[in-house]
Amino acid sequence: MTERLVLVAATLLLAAIGLLPVAAMLKETLIADGRFSLDAYRALFASSDHLVLLMRHSLELALLTASLSTLIGVPLGVVLGKTDLPWRGALTLVLAAPLAIPSYVLAVAWLPIVGRTGLLGGVLPAAWSREIGSAFFGLFGCTFVLTSAFMPIAMLLTIAFLRSVNPALENAGSLVSGWPGVLAHITLPLVAPAIAFAAVLIFLLSLGEIGLPMYLRFPVYPVETLTQFAAFYDQRAATVAAAPLLLVTLAVLGLQTRLHRRVLQLGRRTPRGEAVQITLGAWRMPLFVLVLAFAAVVVALPLGALAAQSLSVETYGLALARAGDSIVRSLVFAATGASLLAVLGFFLGYLAERRTLFLWWTNEWIALLLVALPGSVIGIGLISLWNTKATSLIYASPAILILGYLAQYAILPMRVVAASLHAVPYALEQAAWLSGAGWIATLRWIVAPLASRGLVAAWLIGFVFALRDVAISIVVYPPGADTLPVRILTLMANGAPSLIAALCIILIAVTLLPLAVAGLWLKFGAARP
Amino acid sequence: MRKWLVPALVVAVVAALVLWRLSSGTQGPTVVVYVSHDQVFSEPILKDFENETGIKVRAVYDTEETKSTGVMNRLIAEKDNPQADVYWANEPVRAEVLRQQGIAAPYVSQNAEGISATFKDPNGYWTGFAARARVLIVNKKAAAKPDSVLAYTDPQWRGRAVMANPLFGTTTTEIAALFVLWGDERGQAFMKALKANGVKLSASNGDSADLVARGEFDFGLVDTDDVVSRVRQQQPVELEYPDQGADGIGCLLVPNAVVLIAGARHPDTARKLIDYLLSKQVEAKLARSDAAQIPLHPGVEGPPDLRPIDKLKTMQVDYAEIAAKLQAIQPFLKRWVESGS
Repeated sequence: MTERLVLVAATLLLAAIGLLPVAAMLKETLIADGRFSLDAYRALFASSDHLVLLMRHSLELALLTASLSTLIGVPLGVVLGKTDLPWRGALTLVLAAPLAIPSYVLAVAWLPIVGRTGLLGGVLPAAWSREIGSAFFGLFGCTFVLTSAFMPIAMLLTIAFLRSVNPALENAGSLVSGWPGVLAHITLPLVAPAIAFAAVLIFLLSLGEIGLPMYLRFPVYPVETLTQFAAFYDQRAATVAAAPLLLVTLAVLGLQTRLHRRVLQLGRRTPRGEAVQITLGAWRMPLFVLVLAFAAVVVALPLGALAAQSLSVETYGLALARAGDSIVRSLVFAATGASLLAVLGFFLGYLAERRTLFLWWTNEWIALLLVALPGSVIGIGLISLWNTKATSLIYASPAILILGYLAQYAILPMRVVAASLHAVPYALEQAAWLSGAGWIATLRWIVAPLASRGLVAAWLIGFVFALRDVAISIVVYPPGADTLPVRILTLMANGAPSLIAALCIILIAVTLLPLAVAGLWLKFGAARP
Repeated sequence: MRKWLVPALVVAVVAALVLWRLSSGTQGPTVVVYVSHDQVFSEPILKDFENETGIKVRAVYDTEETKSTGVMNRLIAEKDNPQADVYWANEPVRAEVLRQQGIAAPYVSQNAEGISATFKDPNGYWTGFAARARVLIVNKKAAAKPDSVLAYTDPQWRGRAVMANPLFGTTTTEIAALFVLWGDERGQAFMKALKANGVKLSASNGDSADLVARGEFDFGLVDTDDVVSRVRQQQPVELEYPDQGADGIGCLLVPNAVVLIAGARHPDTARKLIDYLLSKQVEAKLARSDAAQIPLHPGVEGPPDLRPIDKLKTMQVDYAEIAAKLQAIQPFLKRWVESGS
């Protein structure tokens, strides 16, 4: 009974936090002059030729980014999470750094390198650097920057999920095959749901991306929403413009669900003992050099450009003076959001994994639809729903930001926890119930400790996404209480490049610090199943 | 999981919210202002206001670079339960949209007395101050220097000119002003000629200025602050006032505009802030800053890098008319942009 109540409550909470603001916006799209009307939808599809082109661009960008990020991130995750490569922890942190930076800032950092008059211009023949400079402004540049920004999602999820693979299966496989065979036929198929989830997540994040494509002059579909918001101030049309994105999301979700089912037929895992580590032997140093070179190009170059612009104590002093309060607020808001996301994600993830209620699939669909919606639409929906005299206490406080984070990013902790619980044998829960323990006690003393690594990963991923959020934050942050990414964005207009660079470095540092602490905790302090 | 973890989490969340409420300055006089003018220039002015009056300013900033989606849409969405007291717009057209939507309230400040009626709503729904001019930013290495917006259609600059997306910001305002001056037919012909001459669109005025500074284009049409900031950073660009000849249409002035929000929760402090922003003192500060804004009050010293307003040939236009024209031509501009992408 308690289980039912809690899980239904978690489901209703997700629906209330996420769907009600969207429903408030959708309702507006269906009413004109006090009557039901589909005029806004008709107007959208009247310009269908152009929309098809924009959608094609968005799909190309999202497909390329998701494919490249997965193709690079998964092998990197295997190398960093399962082998004896030197400096694995440090390299993981370095390679994860671009995830902390809003993608348009990454593009700004790349420009002094690949622009026509940039660093490459001094090294390469003029014709080559001109070609690279031109190509950067378009699909190539967008894909490159987004891949560097989102590849860490595939890499980190692979690392996290590799830990849940049953070592007994790998050991058995290694009796008849070398590690390449074990990885190809046992390990990677077992973490395929995680890989598919990473690819889908990256696809959806890229599909909704707007700041970077606008900066690099590559017209994409979300521009339609922005145009309705910014040029026509028509919130109704802006919401309608987001509808095709939801249709694409539904299609992707359908495909992913089918894949998920197929993979689950491989059966449940019952891991025991330590995860198996691959000994690289003669490949250790060459692979190390390869990963190091990749990190140098993809991370050190742009971040080095940012660091070079901000190399003075005065600049950091000024940055702290101009944005010190925003830094503290960002940390508090992101930590609070991540904690609540982890709690909500724990129950939703439990339901998704154990499927004890019929509702389990609705949560997944709701949460994935919410992550695909433009943040500005969710933000305006939150205003429509919460900006009333009765709910002013919530609307005029950071609680509204936290609600925004819970709505848009609920899918992340939910899926991370679900995958982590996949490795916790259901028999343990049944044994506890037979011994007289209640459901809450079982969760508290058995499930949660065994899934603690997953919970920490869920908190971290929630923290990173809440910390880097701009789209929702800029629409609903309480007056006088902006976050660091919002302040970076608003200071970018005519702000000194050195100040912006210093603030970006600070943003990266505050994001990576909890990741480093968690890395140490996972290494030395975490409970092991 | 330890026993105390969940209760500790709940306590931490509640404590964080309570702490925020306590520290958010609800005690004492307060004013909530939404700002579209660049934060780097507006924040010091608002800090000075706090220091001089003791009134706590709680600001929401936005920027032209993000197309001001945050603040404008927030003001519209909050119409029935306004949170803002004052809106500091970076151009009068946004203020005019708020007036049309019933979000602005009239207030005529005594400090606006010296400002020309051209820069004020006749009923006091918005008041302009501290203007930018729309000018050409030209790369110093460009083979030829343009001196008119018509250079965009001149074949000698084919593919060498850049302009911010005309659907957004001050570029829309400028195009709407040209339509007002020239009429729709000539305005549309101009836009078609731009496209035929290979004019590239950038994300924003700042982006246009950077592209010209890097030598990717010879010139672009931007705001004065975009040029002055690059010149002061010693980038290889120079400023050209367009259409200053005897037959020229002049350059467009784009003042900031301040608006009292209808139903403001702190109307008294809101009026004090509006009075402050419209003072000569603030215009002088904005002129001296890197914003390099041109004072509209007579007798206030302008920025050293720019011509004073009386030495500048400016477009003779009505901002309400521009706002109306802008809304009328937006569908045309949207089709124009889309046909090139």
